[in-house]
Amino acid sequence: MSIVASRIAKRFGSYQALDNISLTVHSGELLALLGPSGSGKTTLLRILAGLDFADTGSLEIDGRETLGLSPRERQVGFVFQHYSLFRHMTVFDNIAFGLQVRARRDRPSKAAIAERVHQLLDLVQMEWLADHYPAQLSGGQRQRVALARALAIEPKVLLLDEPFGALDAKVRKELRRWLRRLHDEMHITSVFVTHDQEEALEVADRIVVMSQGRIEQVGTPTEVYDTPATAFVFDFLGNANRLEVEVTDGRAHLSGLALDLPIRLAASGPAIAFVRPQDVDIGKTVEATMAPAVVRSIVTIGPTARFELDVGGHLIEAVVDRERSRGLDLAVGDHCGVRLGQVQVFSRSS
Amino acid sequence: MGEGLASPRPLGESRTTRLLLIGTALAFLGIFLFVPLVAVFVEALCRGVGVYWSAVTDPYAVSAIRLTLLVAGIAVPLNLSFGVAAAWAVTKFEFTGKSLLVTLIDLPFSVSPVISGMVYILLFGLQGWFGPWLLAHDIQLMFAVPGLVMATMFVTFPFVARELIPLMQEQGTDEEEAAVSLGAGGFQLFWRVTLPNIRWGLLYGVLLCNARAMGEFGAVSVVSGHIRGLTNTMPLHIEILYNEYNLVAAFAVASLLAVLALITLVAKSALEWRYGGELSRGGGS
Repeated sequence: MSIVASRIAKRFGSYQALDNISLTVHSGELLALLGPSGSGKTTLLRILAGLDFADTGSLEIDGRETLGLSPRERQVGFVFQHYSLFRHMTVFDNIAFGLQVRARRDRPSKAAIAERVHQLLDLVQMEWLADHYPAQLSGGQRQRVALARALAIEPKVLLLDEPFGALDAKVRKELRRWLRRLHDEMHITSVFVTHDQEEALEVADRIVVMSQGRIEQVGTPTEVYDTPATAFVFDFLGNANRLEVEVTDGRAHLSGLALDLPIRLAASGPAIAFVRPQDVDIGKTVEATMAPAVVRSIVTIGPTARFELDVGGHLIEAVVDRERSRGLDLAVGDHCGVRLGQVQVFSRSS
Repeated sequence: MGEGLASPRPLGESRTTRLLLIGTALAFLGIFLFVPLVAVFVEALCRGVGVYWSAVTDPYAVSAIRLTLLVAGIAVPLNLSFGVAAAWAVTKFEFTGKSLLVTLIDLPFSVSPVISGMVYILLFGLQGWFGPWLLAHDIQLMFAVPGLVMATMFVTFPFVARELIPLMQEQGTDEEEAAVSLGAGGFQLFWRVTLPNIRWGLLYGVLLCNARAMGEFGAVSVVSGHIRGLTNTMPLHIEILYNEYNLVAAFAVASLLAVLALITLVAKSALEWRYGGELSRGGGS
């Protein structure tokens, strides 16, 4: 069941929360809406669910115009960031709620509801907690109940708002892998919102990167990571060195250093270059095509070593594996060579 | 609270200071609250149980008791629904004039009850703005039961809403949104999600509202007309007996009112004791 949103706009007072968003979610895929807070990702998700209303635009779910329908008619499962479980109901009653509130003619029998709830409890591995109240559960358990509750109504699409946002790092990782496996079993069209690029890269089939109410890029995790479309995407996706450079004759100059690079920018003028720490090569001596640098700090974390290098007054971060670091045998204050690979340059305006 | 006072704390006041503070508070409560309360019962029973019994079974007294229960029985449920509706509107929606509504809810607390009674006379009395129209249609509001109910409702309006607004504000709209996304209609939303979450706060508000409704004197006194056997509520009946120097009967009826108030207080304390955690946390299990 696919979702096709076109030209959706939403304004809160003078603030443009969504600016002409067009987006297609393919049937059965797990799509991530990724962006910083204020990028409009949650607003978009809430509009898909019918919890917020678009000012203009159209929305089709499963080929049917949906924007005028109530949440009830849309049959959309929604998982809230802070779970929003009914605090006065047991886990069982929480999950059964969506079935119990159906009109009498659509409502399954008591026994059928109980059977469905137990299936879902089994699915989320919480059978033994059916009689507990939300306050007695851990964060991860609450989120799984919230998911089972949303799945109980047999939704056409599943929408998740920062589903792991309120969990601690370890549970977060476990739960997102579990969600990925669950999705692979059920193949329900799903959209989840996150501000965590690692989460989006690991879990999603495709990622939509959003900023200030617009879509910056849509692509698979590999596409988005390897070929970011805009400076924003590069910056947001991860931990890249951001260098202000000057482009002349198709070459980028960083205060005296010429970066001989595959440049996708024809126009001369000030620009921003990005290079990821793992694409920075360090030499014990200044080899050909290398620039001289001074080591400012070295931090070894697990299997990698993180160097901070001073290149003509610019601090550049480099990450090499531990073996390589040992081979280099550098100490703070030593002189070395540095080569920037995989640099991407964006004009200042983009 | 009692725990904090009784147990020594590193930064607490000295023992003497604490004893002095507790002593002052208890003495104050004793002189101004407890002794008068005891006096009511002592005075009521000073001529024996027989006199007491005949005072409270006097036809006028019985009629006053009936009327008080009737007025409270109408005013409290109406204020319950208005209070829930007002609290719902204020906490779950954004609209223009919201702060005005919140201020208006508090109005009965700040206006003297006598004034509210006068305003009703001015509006609905024979010489009032709507008086001729009401007369022409043979509707009597003032000096009759409807007027008593209206005056009581005005005075007791804030109790339920004031109790619910902070509670519902704290709870937010998360659970309601979840219910909507699961397909619940407005009615199901209220009965299955909102009401269970506010039930104890609501009960508490209703108890306070009821206590005040039964004891209201000022506003009711103005709109009642003091017709014995017809528009006299218990507080008004007590005043009349007192003015006729029938002290024993006055205190006997007063003791009934005091008993009603005490029952309310006990029920409230029992609720606090049993569900204290939930009341402060905002409902739920």
